[in-house]
This record gives sequence, structure tokens and C-alpha cells, in this order.
Amino acid sequence: MVAALAAASCGSDSKSSSTSAAPAGTEAPAGTAAPGATEAPAATTGDTSAPAAEGRPLIIARDMDINSLDVSRSYCDTCQIFNTAVYETLITVDPTDPNKILPRLATSWEANADNTVFTFKLDPAATFDDGSPVEAKDVKFSWERLANVKGSASYLMSGLKSLETPDSGTVVATFEAPNSAFLPIAAASYLGIINSDVATTQGATAGSDADTTDKAEEWFLAHSAGSGPYKLESYTQGESLVLARNDNYWGHNKPVFPQVTISEVKDSSSQLQQLQAGDVDIAMQISLDSVGQLDGDSKVTTKVVDSYNYVYIALSPGAEGAEKLKDVNVRKAIVEAIDYDSAIESLVAGKGKKQASPIPNGFIGSADLTLPSYNLDDAKKKLSDAGLADGFDLDATYPDANVYGVDFNLMMQKIQQDLVKVNINLKLTPVQFPEWADRINAKGIPVTAVYFAPDHTDPSQYIQYFGEIPGSSWAGRGGGGDAGTPLDNPKESELLATALASSGDARTQAYTDLGNQMIEDAVIVPIVNPQLVLATASDITGMHYSACCNLDLGLLGLAG
Amino acid sequence: MSLLSTEPRLNLDVLPRSSGTASPWKRATVIGGLIVAGFWFVVVFTVQWWAPYAPLEAVGKRLQGPSWHHLLGTDALSRDVFTRTLYGARQTLPVSLAVILSAVTIGTTLGAAAGFIGGRVDSVVMRLVDITLAFPPIFLAMAVAAALGSGLRNAFFAMVIVWWPIYARLIRGQVQAVKHRDHIQAAVSIGATRWRILRKHVLPMSFTPALINATLDLGQVVILTATLSFLGLGAKPPSPEWGAMITEGAQFFYQWWIAVAPGVAILTVAMAFNFLGDGLRDALDVRAKR
Amino acid sequence: MPLLLLGIVTIAFCISRLIPANPLVAIVGERSLNNAKVVAAAKTRWGLNGSLPEQYLVYIKNLLKGDLGTSFRTRQPVTHDLLHRLPATLELAAGALLIGGVGGVALGAYAASKKDQPADHISRGFSLLGSSLPVFWIGLVFLFVLYARLGWFPGPGRLPPRTKPPDDVTGFYTIDSLLDGNFTLFRQCLWRLVMPCFVLGWAYMGQLSRLVRAAMLDEINSDYVRTARAKGLAERLVIRRHVLRNAWLPTLTILGFSFAQLLTASVLTETIFQWNGIGSYAVQAANTLDFPAVNGVSLFAGLAFLLANLTTDVLYAVADPKIRLA
Repeated sequence: MVAALAAASCGSDSKSSSTSAAPAGTEAPAGTAAPGATEAPAATTGDTSAPAAEGRPLIIARDMDINSLDVSRSYCDTCQIFNTAVYETLITVDPTDPNKILPRLATSWEANADNTVFTFKLDPAATFDDGSPVEAKDVKFSWERLANVKGSASYLMSGLKSLETPDSGTVVATFEAPNSAFLPIAAASYLGIINSDVATTQGATAGSDADTTDKAEEWFLAHSAGSGPYKLESYTQGESLVLARNDNYWGHNKPVFPQVTISEVKDSSSQLQQLQAGDVDIAMQISLDSVGQLDGDSKVTTKVVDSYNYVYIALSPGAEGAEKLKDVNVRKAIVEAIDYDSAIESLVAGKGKKQASPIPNGFIGSADLTLPSYNLDDAKKKLSDAGLADGFDLDATYPDANVYGVDFNLMMQKIQQDLVKVNINLKLTPVQFPEWADRINAKGIPVTAVYFAPDHTDPSQYIQYFGEIPGSSWAGRGGGGDAGTPLDNPKESELLATALASSGDARTQAYTDLGNQMIEDAVIVPIVNPQLVLATASDITGMHYSACCNLDLGLLGLAG
Repeated sequence: MSLLSTEPRLNLDVLPRSSGTASPWKRATVIGGLIVAGFWFVVVFTVQWWAPYAPLEAVGKRLQGPSWHHLLGTDALSRDVFTRTLYGARQTLPVSLAVILSAVTIGTTLGAAAGFIGGRVDSVVMRLVDITLAFPPIFLAMAVAAALGSGLRNAFFAMVIVWWPIYARLIRGQVQAVKHRDHIQAAVSIGATRWRILRKHVLPMSFTPALINATLDLGQVVILTATLSFLGLGAKPPSPEWGAMITEGAQFFYQWWIAVAPGVAILTVAMAFNFLGDGLRDALDVRAKR
Repeated sequence: MPLLLLGIVTIAFCISRLIPANPLVAIVGERSLNNAKVVAAAKTRWGLNGSLPEQYLVYIKNLLKGDLGTSFRTRQPVTHDLLHRLPATLELAAGALLIGGVGGVALGAYAASKKDQPADHISRGFSLLGSSLPVFWIGLVFLFVLYARLGWFPGPGRLPPRTKPPDDVTGFYTIDSLLDGNFTLFRQCLWRLVMPCFVLGWAYMGQLSRLVRAAMLDEINSDYVRTARAKGLAERLVIRRHVLRNAWLPTLTILGFSFAQLLTASVLTETIFQWNGIGSYAVQAANTLDFPAVNGVSLFAGLAFLLANLTTDVLYAVADPKIRLA
């Protein structure tokens, strides 16, 4: 049972976040006047172009994967950062504790006893960047639009029965079935609130036919209509995403930087060089192998933190040419034949963790699972029991990607090295992502490599995507049943329903059971849960990693 | 020369030749080219007997710098970079040779046919040549390799598609030029068959420029093979192809030896063939000996 | 020529549709590929329904109206994307041609004047190196040594960090910064061009210097130069008046050829130096199967090729009276 929660006041969120070291006292009152309290910033970075008191523009180096800047259509890691900075959600998640929910546009929220009805009260002070108030109709418009444009993130709204707005400050979301995941989902950046008046004049629609009638996506490439601390200034694909400070920002944590630029810098080496040269303030994808190069550099602050990202290989028994994988013991033999510790050493210089199931370390349900272990003898025995001691070939086509510091070419070569020891020969073929997506959804691929970062902080997303339940992507791809029917483990459907209807320990137990079921499926084999390098110029404060939002630019500040 | 020619290649005939056949520089470069090219060919055939390790084997610690145990260090998966660089020759050289041989064969056949038969055959072949040459080589190779899928074999097809028109055009030009010479006309007048004329008189004269071009191009094909692999369209992992090794090494900037070794390998091969091509031109091309 | 362009368009269209992959991923995202409704809606919206011949006809029809379609990835008209990125590529190519052209002629002339001396060998070795180096590799090496290690040259990218681009008038940062009267920025932009332009222009410099050297040696030994010398003309004057003037011919000859190579190498140079031009656009388009963009780039490249060769031929005809007679 979820008790009614209410945050005492908005002031609590700046206190609860240990990272917001920005001097609260010196922040400018809403408006353009520069705070006169502080003199020039820290003397260490003698950048002459930095305006003295205002705080210099912030530059972030990142390999951007933006698919859209329309919050309802976006679905990517960089989108999470952008959405969070520009479009606020009703509630958000504490960056230091993914299971703790904090207020944002809403001051209070509650769920009914069976987790089917959620009621949010909006903060009457909240305004969009044009000064107009954030109202219930905007929430209804934004969430319905998200559901109806049928983009990749639309799945977050599945099961929604109705959205009511009894008054301009109240939103009631009703679901067809219990959905204990909805509060974490409401904190997902894709559920950010759009100024509906502005958006509709630009051709945005939210009705059930929005996927064909909505014409606003192009407009959103150059404009934004949110309530967040920053707003979109310009976007040049392949070059930069520039955000400007929202001088009308209504919240308490006033944005510090007059401008934030996310600059497209593809590879880790360049990001590292540019950070060291002082060309950028933050480098977001420094490889774990090269982080040692930053040791002793006084101009750079480096922190290596745990993440909720992971890379995995997937065994699809239903794929063409994967008949031998239909035997679950053969799949388990593969799981045991991989030397995880040495893989973690080779791929992320040891800066990563093993992960038991698709539910990542740190999420509810992950704590009590047994980590995979390398057991060559048992793997050999399992294979010889299956009559496959002499081994066999498997096609391994995978996207040519480098994600979360893991190079897929290296990872697959490493796994190939391991599996050769049990006489399984992987035929490696790196392909571009569209080609991979086409193959995986058509003929399937016996062994492939993929990655996942959380969309929100509830474990249900992992069952919906990886579990052997109807509608899950990997159940269809796994296709282990006869005639290519999806894998179906009815227990998992039951357990998920239980988890979504319950709370507290019962919910945790249900997710633990789900984790164990998915380990038994031996379809998704997480290889490593890599750590993340947070590297900034030394005068940047508040750098963090957030489970819901990747990075909340509003929390960043300047020391001095 | 047509105003609308799409010739993107160097037309060797309109250019002046370096004069002076036997300068010490020339001799030194030819000998140097022979030694380097010879070395790599020996490597291709014998490397399995004397390389210090196996190219796919994990040996020792990862990302170690050059040492006596590992002359060029180890890579991210603890493989010996020196060994992999040597084995790389087995990937690149045979493919490059095959590309040139196929391109020359196809190009010569079609070019000779176009030049000799003329008429519709000529216009069809030359339109095809024009269109193919209108694409920058790398765009076409990328597109074809992407359409066929990655892998060295498909990269081979892509490069042949890029290269054959160059030889077709070259040979056609040669054929047209010699067709009207007196001794050919004389042969025609005494009733020699077309085929005989082609074989006895025209092709031998066209052979020299093709050979010179082929040698010079070999270096370029080696570079293109590596380039396609660098872009992810050539060799598949874990094969130690030079371009693919550079891609891998580029991620490990501070472990410079991973990317430097294959780069130097490509450089030496390309340079050797450039030297040899130059030398051949001086030795074989009559006009250069003025 | 129109026939040739049609051929280019057709081949580009065919190749891009041959690729065994699904462009819809770029549009709807991998997650929605299984959703038949979403896929059908996206197909209609992006003109991917209908048979291939139908799609081809629609494409050609739009093409005649100057419409290259809308990129799946950037969601902008391809013409807009290309025009927006063209200045970056042209800036790079112009710089490379300048470095390669001036450097090539100078190096060739110098080498010829020092024939068979050590300086000759060194300059010939240097130019040969240029055509034997893989562009992508030497770009990486330069960045590592000259930027990361030594700090002599600025890093990748067209603009210095923490700098706003100049007001967009022409799209050329060098010209626009001058128009703004911002000389500091002009200098910085120019400085950033040096390394990528050199990497790009080195091969051209190599070929050119070899040709110029050979041409000059031919000329130096020719009768009229000997006459000029015999008449007592100063050696430098001889070189300038007679010899260098004739060296322009080889320069022109390989200009069209070099343009082809430049386009090819720009794909790699732009990728490595994070230059947001046509080359990197082409790579991204190919990687994401952005059909309209792939076709657009092919058409653009073909057109540029034709123009370059046309210009070469015209210049050649103007420069060489023998050709004009023919």
C-alpha cells in the first residue's frame, strides 16, 4: 500500500541534494540583473572571456544521440538531459537515492490503495518561460500527447484509462490495472510538461490521432515551451545544442549559467583532451581506461560513480540458425563460459560490476540475486550432456557501437575468446544500428550485444522489455517456442501483475522473483554494469548522475 | 579531350615525365621499394612460422607498452600488437592485389571491346564508366560495401566496382590511339581478323600503361582497404586488419603503439608501391626516355 | 550531362534501397518497430509506402522541383542541410587546395632548382609521403602530437570553444568574422583550419610538386630557356618568366583530379576533426540509412565532380593554346 505522500515545502529539495553547492545567497533574483556579490570566479581557470560575476557559459562535451527535441517524441540519453533542463516533470527523483521521490511542479501526490488512481496537486507558483502558469490542462495535454504520438517513449503511458482535471491545479490519472510504477514514471523526463497554449498554435495535437495530425516536431527543433531552468536557444545536428537561461525561472534553484552548450564531441579521447585543455567544462563520456590520465590534473575534478547502465548479450533461441540455443541448458552453459571478471577488466579497466539479471544493481529487486559466475568445467559438462561437446558455430551480429565506455567490438571479441574454450565459435559481424534493428526484428540474431539505460526508476520497465511476457521486445525476439512463437513464461506475467499492485516488501519480493525467473530464462546475459566518469573543470559544482534524468543541468553551479 | 569528361583520375599521357632515368635517387627508391614490398610478401607467406605469438591469442597483461617481450606492446585484449601487425599483411595485401587484378581484367576487356568494336558497345560501356566515375570513390565504395554488408570479401567487390572504369577508360584510349596507326591499318588491309589485330598489335601496346597504373594504384588500394575497415565496412573482428586495428587503437590515445604500428605498416606498403610504380614508368615507358 | 545526373540519381537510389536494413529505425525508434500501426503511419508520412518504382518516380518528380526530400535524421529538408554544411566543406577544401597548390608549386620548383641535391631528395620524400599516408591515420597522429601533447595547434572543430559563431551571412566562419569586424575570431578560425587543411592538402601537394618538378626540368632544358639564359637573363627571372608560367599547366591538369580526392578525403578529415561539413554528413547519413540524405549527398558529389572537371577543361583550354586549336 502506498501511503499518501506530501512534501513539506519546496525548500526541502535544495537541502536534500548534497550536490547543490551553489551559493544560494548570491543567486540573482528573477530578472536579468547580475548579482553583485561575487567578484571574478575561481582564479585557477584564467579564461579571459568569462564574464566576471554572471558565471561563464557552460560547455559540455558529449557524443549526442538526439532523435528528437520534441519531448513527446524524444527517446535517448541526451534527450533525458535536455528534457530535464527544459521541461519539468511533476515529481522528480533524488539523484543520491533513486527510490526517493521529490516534488517539482507538483507539491503533493497520492496513489489510491490498489495503485490505479494517482492524484497530483500542482504548485500554484509554477510558470512557463513565457510567464504563464503551469496548469492541469498542460499536464493533460502533455501526457496525452506522449501517449498518442506513438513514439518510442509512448509505452510509458500504456494502460492509462483517463486523465481528469477537476480544477486547474489538480490532475487525476486513472489506470486500467494497478500500476505502482507510475510515480517513478511520472518522474521520467519524457513526461515533462509542455506549455499547451504555445504548442497548439504551432500545430501540436494530443488527441488519439496525434500520430498523424501533430505537426509540431519541426518547430520543437528550434523552440521550446517548458518551465525548466533553461530553454532551447539553438540546435545544430552534429554540432551543438545550445540552451539559454530561463530568466523567468519560477523555482528556487535559479540557473547559474547564462548559457549551456552541449558540444558534439564523438570520442572519449577528444573529450579528455578538450577537458584538459580547458576547452570544455564537463566531459561526459571519458572512457574508464583513460580516466587515470586525469590523475594529478589540478584543473580537473574527477569522480567515478556507479551507474544504472549496462551492456548485455542476448541469446535468441528463436533466431534463424540458433536451434541449438532452444535447450536452456546450452544457454546456461554459455552464461557460465563467460569470464566476467576478466571481461570487466578488459572492457572497463575493472571499473564496473557484474550484474545478475536485467534489473540493474541498485534497483528494487536486484539486491538478493546471485551474480553470474565463471565455471568452465560446468559449462563443458552442460554442453557434453546436451551432446554438443564438439561445439558449434553461432552468428553474432551486433551494432557497431561504443556505449557507456564499452566498445562492442572489443566486448564481442572478448566473448568470442571465452566461448572458443567450450568450442562455440562466434561469427562476429558488426553492423550499423538500422541494419541491426532490421535483422533482430525479422530473422533474429542468435547472439547479439545491446545496452540499456533506465527510462525511469521502477524495475517494471525491465520486465516489460526483457521478460518473457506478451508484448515484451525480447520475448518476441527470443522466439523459443514452436514455429517461432514468442517465449512465454506465465509466471513472469503473474509476478509482474503482483509487483504492480503491491508495495513495500511484497513489491521487492516480486521483483526479486522476477529477477530470478529471468536468470533462469538465460536469454539476457548482462556482461558489465560499468561505472561512470564524472569529469569537470574544478570550479564546477553539483556534478552528479541521476537515475531518472542522467544529468540535471539545473543542479550545476560555479564555485567561488 | 571532351569538355564534359568526368575524368577524375590523372591522365598520365598529358603530363610531363620526369627526365633523367638513372638518378641515384631513382635507383635508391626502386631498390628501397623492392626491399619493402619484398619484405611484406615474405611476411604474407611465412609469418606463421616466425611470428612471436598467435594473432588472436591473449598474452600477458593488457595495454602494455613496447618491451622486449612485446616489441610493439599489447592491445586492450592483451594481444601482441607486433604479431597482429605482421598478420595484417595477410588481410590487406592479397585483397589489394585481387582488387587490382580483377579491375585490370574487367577494365581491359570492356575498354578494349569499347575501343575496338565502337558503336553501341562503346557508348554503353563509356556511359557506365562515366556514371561510376562521377561518384567520389569513397562514396561509392561505402555505399556498395554497406549494401553488401561488411566483410573483406564485400569490400573487395566494392573496390573492384570503383576501380574497373579507370582501366576501361585507359585501355579504350590506348586502343583508339593505336587503331589508326599505319601498321594496324596495314594489317587490316592485308586481311587480318579483328581478334588477331587486337591480340597481336593493340593489347601489347596498351599493356605498359596499365601495368604502371596498376602498380601505382596498388598503394592506393591498400589505403582504401584500410579506410573501409576504419569506417567499419571492411574486415570483421577479430581479424588483425590494419584499418580495423587503427580504429581500435584510436580509442586508446595514450596507448599510442596500438594505432601507430598498423599505420606505419600501411605507409610503408603504399610508399613501396609508389616507388616501384615510378621506377616502372621510367623503365618501361618509351616516351619517358626522351 | 543531364543523362549523367539521372544516372547518378538512379544508381544512388538503387544502392540505398538495396541495403538490407530498415530506415524506419531512424524515424520511429527501435522500440516501436514491432508496432504495426506506428510503422504504417511512419511509412505514409515519410513516403516509404508504395513500390520501389513508385517511390523512384515520386523522388524524381520532387527532384525536378528542386526538392531533395526531408532527412529522416535531422528532420530538415536535405537541401537545407547541404547548404548549411557546404561552407564548412568549402572552407576546408579551399584551404587544402591553397596549401597544396602553393606548397606543391613551391616545393616542386625548389626541388627542380636543387636537382639531385639533398634538398631535392628531402622535398621529394616529403611529397611522396603525402600520397602514401592514410588520411584518417595521419589526422589522428597530428591531433595526438600537435594538439594533445605539444599544444602547438588548436583542437578539432571549426570554432574555438566558448565562442559563438559569427553572424550567419555566408556561413564561412572566416568571412563572417571579418564582416563582423572580429579579427580575433578570424585569426582563430583561420588557425583552426591549418591542421585539417594540411592533412587534406598534403596528398595534393605531393602530386603537384612531382609534376611541377618534372615540368620545370623539362623546361629548363628546353631550347628557349637556354636561349634566354644565353641572352644573359638572370636565373631567377628565367625561372619566373618562362618556367613557372609553364608549370601552371600540370597544376590545372590535376585540379579536377584533386577535387575528387579532396571530396573523398574530406569524408575522413571531417570525421576526425569534427568538422560539420558535407563529408561528415555523408558518413552519418550512411550510418543511419537516411535515404534522402544519402541520395542528396550522392547527387551533390556527382554535380560537384562534373563542375570541377568542366572548370578544369575550360581553364585548360584557355591556358594551353594547343588544346584550343584542337
